[in-house]
Amino acid sequence: MIGGLSVGLLVLMGLSLPVGVVLFALGLGVDSFFSPFPLIRGLGQVVWSATDSSLLIAIPFFVLLGEVLVRAGIAERTYRALDTWFSWLPGGLIHANIATATLFSATSGSSVATAATVATVAMPQARRLGYDPRLFSGAIAAGGTLGIMIPPSINLIVYGFLTETSIPQLFLAGLVPGLLLALGFMAVSAVLCWLWPALGGGGERYGWRARIASLADLLPILLLFTVVIGSIYLGWATPTESAALGVAMAMLIAAARRGLSVAALREALLGTIRVTAMIMFVIVGAYFLNYTLASAGLGQALRELMAGLGLGPTGTLLAIVLLYLVLGFFIETLSLMVATIPIVVPIVLALGYDPVWFGILLILLIEMALITPPVGLNLYVVQGARKGGNLAEVMVGAIPYVAVMLVMAALLIVFPGIALWLGGG
Amino acid sequence: MPDRHSDLVARVAAATRAVNRRIAIACGLVLLATGALILVEIALRRTFGGVLGGTDEISGYVMAGIATWGLSWALAERAHVRIDLLQRRLAPAGRATLDALALLGVAAVAALVTLHAWSVLATSLARGSLANTPLETPLWIPQAIWLGGWAWFAVTAWLLAGCLLVALLGGRFALAEEIGGAQQQEEAEP
Repeated sequence: MIGGLSVGLLVLMGLSLPVGVVLFALGLGVDSFFSPFPLIRGLGQVVWSATDSSLLIAIPFFVLLGEVLVRAGIAERTYRALDTWFSWLPGGLIHANIATATLFSATSGSSVATAATVATVAMPQARRLGYDPRLFSGAIAAGGTLGIMIPPSINLIVYGFLTETSIPQLFLAGLVPGLLLALGFMAVSAVLCWLWPALGGGGERYGWRARIASLADLLPILLLFTVVIGSIYLGWATPTESAALGVAMAMLIAAARRGLSVAALREALLGTIRVTAMIMFVIVGAYFLNYTLASAGLGQALRELMAGLGLGPTGTLLAIVLLYLVLGFFIETLSLMVATIPIVVPIVLALGYDPVWFGILLILLIEMALITPPVGLNLYVVQGARKGGNLAEVMVGAIPYVAVMLVMAALLIVFPGIALWLGGG
Repeated sequence: MPDRHSDLVARVAAATRAVNRRIAIACGLVLLATGALILVEIALRRTFGGVLGGTDEISGYVMAGIATWGLSWALAERAHVRIDLLQRRLAPAGRATLDALALLGVAAVAALVTLHAWSVLATSLARGSLANTPLETPLWIPQAIWLGGWAWFAVTAWLLAGCLLVALLGGRFALAEEIGGAQQQEEAEP
């Protein structure tokens, strides 16, 4: 059953069928070949329970929050402010790239939006100040991936929903690894630019007066983050409620800066509904596949497979990590995550690993997939915003950051406490 | 006269997109209204310790509504995720054929789900099912809206699939791509 599924998944995806359709087709396949009774009778009820969800409505709220912030021109101010704080390090503006991406990750649940926003603001500076385009754009692509690790994260909501894991716990668990990654990115940039100063570029030096003044531009976004995550942490609000709060605050900030016209709001809503529907089609498909797999006795098949492989828990986990590294080269990230969760997570849980911890590890592997060619969405997004040069430069520039992620994955496996310290049950 | 057919096809596809855009804006406004409701609920809880009640339940129904009614907008915008790694290496005719296959796949799934969604609604109607909540919402109300979304998704998908097939058979691959091509990767992911 597992072999057939994997082949079917790859062939149907290779035919470029929409991923939601592929997942439904696999579910129907499981139903007709592996189930003793017709599971399709449950289809309607399964789809209803997948969409009737006061948890998943957090997704459109977080998407809208990001759309509003991006359209209100808050990124430029944030970037300039962070420039004053970090440009003294070797590598100058590269640190502002990473720091801006980190801060935006903390308000938006999306990696691509984060990368696109930072790239649009930062790229003109790189040209003007003579930075090496490779490391500079690689830093943006990598920094952008933090969007799905640092809470709020749409991908963590999707993981939590499909595996019935607590979203607040997942959000808190992502915080420390996300910040460590950001620090790792900055450290590796500083070291590289210290060794080869030609990688960096010029820039102004700022005094404390400018830094303090810049706080006025950072304060709104820091406040937004504090409210969204703080309210979840303290248990004042569910993720959905904190998302709605966040949208209201973002709109207030945008209105105060006169950055949100009716036309801009309309575009933000259209984008929100488009992205939400796109995610939900995949989720509904995965939910149906989940249901058919569970009813057809996937657990038994998996236990037999595991016993047959005889790898033991650590060996199996490493095999899974390797699987994601390889698939991550070729399959777009949300699809990769959603299509594999129904098969992989039961294995991992059967081995006795913590679902919150594995969620964070999975997100880290998915982040890597975002910046590894040939299918690495953030590479294309940054390249799209560059208006010149070629994609290979961004790919090369991302390599040091992929290395940081690999180290982080190893640390996470050896020291699960990195994720579970805040996110433990 | 294939040209006249193709122009008709382009017009139908454009009209489908325009209608779905309006539906999507309506969905967005409903989302905003739900957000406002949630804020009121939080405010009441933090100040008076009282609750509006039912906000959680209503936001679930809203999600079921906007997620399904938004599906056809995402389809018209070619936003549904596809892995086009191999497909984009094909000649235009091959690309358009796979595009047609993809759209027919969506149409088939949409029709299948609509059929089964209907049986969910029919059961709720026949039993007079009420939600197991303080609001005791008759389930047929949100389920009818939800079913409508799937049905409209099916209609949109079959319409666009028809348009794409006519364009494909007429050899107008650029138009076919415009109707159902795999979209640029940039926007495909949250």
